[in-house]
Amino acid sequence: MSTAELEDRTSFSAVELLSSGDYDEPLIANGVRCHGGFDADGRYRSPRTLHRGPAIAAWQSRLADEGGALIELSPGLMPPQYPNVAQAKLLLQNGVRDPVVRALTIISIVEGFGAMIRDVQVPDLGEIFVEPIEGTALAHLEKGLFEAHARDESGYRDEGGHKQMWEAARDAALENPKIPGDVLMRLMGRRGRGGRPEPAFPEIGPELERMLGFMANVLVVEVFAEGTFQWGIDVLSDPAVSAAPDVAGGMVRNIQADEKPHVEYLRAALSEARARTIRTVDGKTIAGQQVVDGLLHRILRQMTKTRPNDQREDVREGLVEAMKAASNPARLLEEFDALDQDWTPPGKTGFEPAQDAA
Amino acid sequence: MNLATRARRTFKIGWTAAWVWSLYKVPAFGRRITGRPPRPESELSPTHARAANHILALALDLRGVMIKMCQAVATRSDMFPKEFIERLKQCHDAVPPKPFDVVRSVVEQELGKPLDAVFADFDEQPIASASLAQVHRAKLHDGREVAVKVQYPDIEDIMHTDLANMRRVCRIYEYFDPQPLALLPLLTELTTHLSYELDFVREADCAERVRDLFADDEHVKIPEMIREWSSTRVLVMELVSGMKITDKDALVAAGLDPANVLQDLMHIYVRMILAAGFFQADPHPGNLFVTPAGEVVVLDFGLSKELPDGFGLGLFELMFSLMTFNEQAMLRAFDELGFRSKSGDNSTFLAIARRMIDRSDTGSFEGEFTEDMTDELFEAIREDPVAEVPTDFVLVARVFSLLSGIGHTLGSRANVLQAMSGAPAS
Ligand SMILES: Nc1ncnc2c1ncn2[C@@H]1O[C@H](COP(=O)(O)OP(=O)(O)O)[C@@H](O)[C@H]1O
Ligand SMILES: [Fe+2]
Ligand SMILES: [Fe+2]
Repeated sequence: MSTAELEDRTSFSAVELLSSGDYDEPLIANGVRCHGGFDADGRYRSPRTLHRGPAIAAWQSRLADEGGALIELSPGLMPPQYPNVAQAKLLLQNGVRDPVVRALTIISIVEGFGAMIRDVQVPDLGEIFVEPIEGTALAHLEKGLFEAHARDESGYRDEGGHKQMWEAARDAALENPKIPGDVLMRLMGRRGRGGRPEPAFPEIGPELERMLGFMANVLVVEVFAEGTFQWGIDVLSDPAVSAAPDVAGGMVRNIQADEKPHVEYLRAALSEARARTIRTVDGKTIAGQQVVDGLLHRILRQMTKTRPNDQREDVREGLVEAMKAASNPARLLEEFDALDQDWTPPGKTGFEPAQDAA
Repeated sequence: MNLATRARRTFKIGWTAAWVWSLYKVPAFGRRITGRPPRPESELSPTHARAANHILALALDLRGVMIKMCQAVATRSDMFPKEFIERLKQCHDAVPPKPFDVVRSVVEQELGKPLDAVFADFDEQPIASASLAQVHRAKLHDGREVAVKVQYPDIEDIMHTDLANMRRVCRIYEYFDPQPLALLPLLTELTTHLSYELDFVREADCAERVRDLFADDEHVKIPEMIREWSSTRVLVMELVSGMKITDKDALVAAGLDPANVLQDLMHIYVRMILAAGFFQADPHPGNLFVTPAGEVVVLDFGLSKELPDGFGLGLFELMFSLMTFNEQAMLRAFDELGFRSKSGDNSTFLAIARRMIDRSDTGSFEGEFTEDMTDELFEAIREDPVAEVPTDFVLVARVFSLLSGIGHTLGSRANVLQAMSGAPAS
């Protein structure tokens, strides 16, 4: 968005989409060199956005020019954090650190897993869509967008990414806490009951469904992550509970800034797919809207209904154990529960299939 | 064991050791007295091969502990040349079964009852016989079908004799060689592992621990241990049946996708090793079955191991940062895991991290953690032996290389990143 000349372009090379430009000062997080850096005026600049930023803006405005709508996820869908800000602070103030350390560690790892997006197979989209895709975000997924996303999340070569930045925020704020031994168990634990997911749209073939499904999933995660960032900022920049309020809070703000392009390119690409027509494997066609909305609906339902409950249960399990360290566990738990907020997921995701809506 | 057997084993071990020693040292001595420089490592390949052949022949002759020793050496590509690794890898247990009378007397002695007081049926032909024990199919009086693992009667004795002999040989070797390989620690570790494998009570404990871990996972099956009839040397457990995990045709015929089976298998090991820090350390194909319903069966918990606190997370970090090309995070993980360079600086590990990362020429590992990557690591360490490898790491690396081998046989690759994320096979 920096120069007018760039805004007119809609085609970029992978090298361009991965390039960062110069910083005045690199970002060092708790001794670890990370991506991104600071301008002369001290403003943080996200990595790999020299061209990626303007490119995404150009694709989105082109979509609008062509009459396509940009996907909007209703903010009301976002489940609250558990423990919430007040609860997390209460725990920390009472010396119960494990649940917060665990939560921050899991966030860092989940961020890192975002790198799996570079392994998503991209089928020949030029063949699949009836309408041309030149000069769209869709045409650049494999040409730099997925790779840039992956590098942002888990770092690359000698630079840390979000995974390392969250670790740094945690370690600065809570002074290199011991990581609870059950972190990975909680991360990998839940499985076994759920079978392998059934295809929702067999007619588009497994490869395309996997790609669109993965993107829809990541988009929802990225949008909901906004709640996580706010939580992180609120908790970690409070001097009452954080040993490094400026450093730790600032670090989460940097991560938050880096996520913008992720949300925006995924919205752009999925919206482009939504505005197009897909050739099915049996030689017919299906509206992109039906597929994209169907996938978003499925994911949103899962992320707003089953997931928050599972996550609460998981946190709760570790909580009682961790509170044993406090002077009066029973009272603390009572106080903790009093700070809980009620939340019921909205009845609709906004992407209901046509027949349901009728 | 009688004196003659003991003397024979002692003699054979000593003789082979002397012979191997002379293979290396006689030419070296010859060069020294004629004033020629020592042979470079690159010219030693035929010598390594001959030495390894001698050792292999000895193991196949003496069996038991010697076979285990060879198998242990074969996992240490960080210490031994590849000629050793390649040859000793082929050292398998294929022991003729012991006569049934021997089996009967062990079982009766251990259980303190006649065989038919416990079993309604007991197959005289074993299902399998290995270097330390053999397994028979039987039936309890309540009708349950069981597998009975019976330890050979004099195996503990043989083990002590062989280990003592090998320890003596190692001491002599370390005394004479100016720059000895650290064989004694290797032997000590082997001794520990063997004592684990000979304790069936421990094995049953381990099996139950892993069974609990996967209690809610319908993709995994661990046979139930029947503690009532088990002892240190006899292990009675639920009989399980299924296809061999490497039998691709059978899997396909049963309507299973070998890629999913492999992914489930990887998930099982990743969950045990990284998340639980306690694992069955011997995933060779003989210990893994697949039921027609697609459950992966894990057997043989003789070699199960508990990892030190935090080791699983360190391994996770190492594998994760490798597969996401983050060399700087790899360095921190090496350090957390207890890898040390003698000089104390980390340039050695930086170089190693880069070598491992450069194993991918496509810019993606596609979530794969391969044998090649650990081979690369071990080779780098062997070439430039300034580094110390934590022994737990060696055991884990062996597990991953066995899993990688199974993938190879199935013509499929496991996505380790996906397994680590807890996502099901897709
Ligand atoms: N519970 C069981 N059900 C069916 N077969 C079994 C069972 N346990 C062992 N076996 C068979 O016996 C073989 C050897 O058992 P194992 O426990 O691996 O002994 P070892 O430790 O000597 O290798 C296995 O490979 C398998 O074929
Ligand atoms: Fe991120
Ligand atoms: Fe992101």
